[in-house]
Amino acid sequence: MGRISRLAALACLLPGAALAAEGERIEVRGEIIDTWCYYSGVMGGPEAVVGTAHHTCALWCSAGGIPVGLLGEDGEVYMVLKIEGDDASASGDTQLRLASHEVTADGMLYERDGLNYLVVEEVVTDHGITNLSHDIYGPVPGFAIPEPAK
Amino acid sequence: MKRIAITTAVICLGLPAMAQDFSEGSEAKSWNLAAEKPARFEATVVDMLCELTGDCAENCGDGKRQLGLLRAADDVLIYPNKNSQPAFTGAALELAPYCGATVEVDGLMIEDPELGATNIYLVQKIREVGESEWVTANSWTKKWAEAHPDAEGEGPWFRRDPRVNGMIEESGYLGLGLEADAAFIEEWF
Repeated sequence: MGRISRLAALACLLPGAALAAEGERIEVRGEIIDTWCYYSGVMGGPEAVVGTAHHTCALWCSAGGIPVGLLGEDGEVYMVLKIEGDDASASGDTQLRLASHEVTADGMLYERDGLNYLVVEEVVTDHGITNLSHDIYGPVPGFAIPEPAK
Repeated sequence: MKRIAITTAVICLGLPAMAQDFSEGSEAKSWNLAAEKPARFEATVVDMLCELTGDCAENCGDGKRQLGLLRAADDVLIYPNKNSQPAFTGAALELAPYCGATVEVDGLMIEDPELGATNIYLVQKIREVGESEWVTANSWTKKWAEAHPDAEGEGPWFRRDPRVNGMIEESGYLGLGLEADAAFIEEWF
């Protein structure tokens, strides 16, 4: 690559690096979800892997270090990187406690390469678990609730 | 100056197009996911929070923070959500030993525009660039067992995890409380 091309490539990459540090303050309401099951479809469609139907699995995945996200009322997923100062985004206590909860969060939004990332400054309101999806789907996966001994 | 500007435009527009297919040479095993595609590429292992916000931790947070893969070919930030174990386990602990290193990874990329899934990755194998041996990304359960010596017993880790079991004992499998749980279980089974 010639000198001009190298300069051009550098010029191309620099704006991206600068943009990466810019965030936008937002308030967003939605459910704290398990992003792998939601995105991959490994357990079924997106409606089945949220709410009470998927609560136990959401606990497993959060404790297992799978990233949690906030599924906003706008249908967007915001990948959560920090909650009220707790930066343990892989298997941390704060995110585990909020699994499946609907929250209103105030924080900083960062967008990069097609994904939204959220640093939650404050959980303004914890609305609790509000999506009663087990009424429709039962437990997802089916073995999440062990069958009682007879 | 005009020549630099034109070259810049060509390269900037061209980079994403040049970096679309990373399946060549991949030996990733299928998970039979509708949106999966094999992907093998070189990348730098980064602390996601640090990369995006400048809030950095020593040693990428020692596995407590989510880690990313800054792909060498196009500077795209890939988010590894999953390791190779079918056990509700993420990728951060697998990548933590490589904080700041340039690695080659092999696995499955998830691209599902309807769900907004893009650059989501399941990592199956890792090796530092220049190394010949791959490391399988399946160490999570072993590390969990080492960290929870008192949780020995029958069954997979997620049935024995003290924090998860504490949450279920407190608010049930549905998260709605023990009374709601009992009523549902009686009806369901």
